[in-house]
Amino acid sequence: MQRNHFLTPFLYAALMFSLVVLNSHTGVAAPPDPTEQLRPFLDKVTTTLADPKLKKMTRQEQSDRMISVIRERFDFREMSKRVVGRQWQSLSDKEQDEFEHLFTRLLQYAYVGKIDEYSGQQIQFTQQRVKGDRAEVQTLLVDKNKSIPISYIALLRNDQWMIYDVVAEGVSLVRNYMEQFNEILRKDGYPGLVKQLKEKVAGLEKNLTKS
Amino acid sequence: MAHRLHCLARRLGHFYLLPMVATMAFFWGSAAAADLFDNVRAEQAVGTVDFLSDESYEHPTADVKVADPIEPFNRAMFAVNDKFYIWLLEPVATGYSKILPGGLRTCIGNFFYNLGEPVRSANSLLQGRFRDAGRTLGRFVINSICGVLGLADAAGKDFKIAPVYASFGQTLSVWGIGDGFYLVVPLLGPSTLRDFSGTLVDGVATTTYAPWSDDTITTITVQGIRTVNRASLHIGEYEEIKSLTFDAYVAFRNGYYQIRSKQYDHSNSTK
Repeated sequence: MQRNHFLTPFLYAALMFSLVVLNSHTGVAAPPDPTEQLRPFLDKVTTTLADPKLKKMTRQEQSDRMISVIRERFDFREMSKRVVGRQWQSLSDKEQDEFEHLFTRLLQYAYVGKIDEYSGQQIQFTQQRVKGDRAEVQTLLVDKNKSIPISYIALLRNDQWMIYDVVAEGVSLVRNYMEQFNEILRKDGYPGLVKQLKEKVAGLEKNLTKS
Repeated sequence: MAHRLHCLARRLGHFYLLPMVATMAFFWGSAAAADLFDNVRAEQAVGTVDFLSDESYEHPTADVKVADPIEPFNRAMFAVNDKFYIWLLEPVATGYSKILPGGLRTCIGNFFYNLGEPVRSANSLLQGRFRDAGRTLGRFVINSICGVLGLADAAGKDFKIAPVYASFGQTLSVWGIGDGFYLVVPLLGPSTLRDFSGTLVDGVATTTYAPWSDDTITTITVQGIRTVNRASLHIGEYEEIKSLTFDAYVAFRNGYYQIRSKQYDHSNSTK
């Protein structure tokens, strides 16, 4: 094994130097580090969740507050495109906007109940993978007696990593909805899907005001 | 002393040889031979999901999407299980959770999990994952002694040996046996023909050394307690997930395949 050759540190330093010089010359920066971008974002999410002011708000206000924070780094357009699948291209701009709006509201109302469950759980960053303009940031949500592995899948848009899928304990949110929507699209087409989505959102909204 | 050992060996039944074999494997596991084997395994890993490739979103691989030719039957069984859970299991588990504190219920869960470790170790061996076989066996020994019969997960907390997934269904998959088709088993839930067969084998293997293998009624009672205990740790979760779905049957089928594909993928576990 030649791994500990005495020249290695020098070679390494030379390589780093040349990289720095190359970068400053061409002006092309390496893609930003996904973990470094997601860390402050998830910090903001947890601080907002822990904010005592949030507990005093109504359910509707709570969910509005959270979605406005989450929007900063979630690409709901990309998410919508993926859950609809191949039919997305055949939708008009108006239909795409409508779907994105409905799907965002579905997620907004679906997870509002989780706000009460938050009691200072910490997020640990475990690993990241970058492949071209895609990145996976793996985290652990550390609870009292269990840790839940959660991965965020992100796409690079104008130097910003934007999340388009969340994988909790191996289950991808997008894939799960995609398979359900595929069935509905196959049976009832796009109008059927929008109808069901509207009903679901209305139902969740009703529950929101009730509790 | 000799008498005690003899009793212990008899209680462990056919499995008393297993700890010895697995202990040997544990030491062997640290040798280069295991590395070689692990590498071979990693290459064999079937159709793992890569979330960074669009291909795996648009054309789900075979391990995520499996044939469901008996969908009408499965949907009926899903409805039966749904009612069984909501009308019987959850009310019982809720009452049970009011009697026993959460910490104690976690310990009972740990106890049952620990009893399955020898079977997990055997399956790891059968799959050529020698390091995992050693890990699960190490967990079993540590938790049985330091964790007081497995009530506490000392191996995970103090020795940092994380639990490892291994089942006979997975062993069959490594041996090249296909899933067959999706199967919703009454009272048990989502499975496939192959994995349900595997579950039965794992169950029978556990009863050969479980302390209550004396008669059927005891075995059923213990399984009942185990099921209620597990449900008591997840009250309300099922309804919550279900309320977010558009077609609960499809959502749970997809969830089952996704979770399993992560459990079966050990390319990440040997760091």
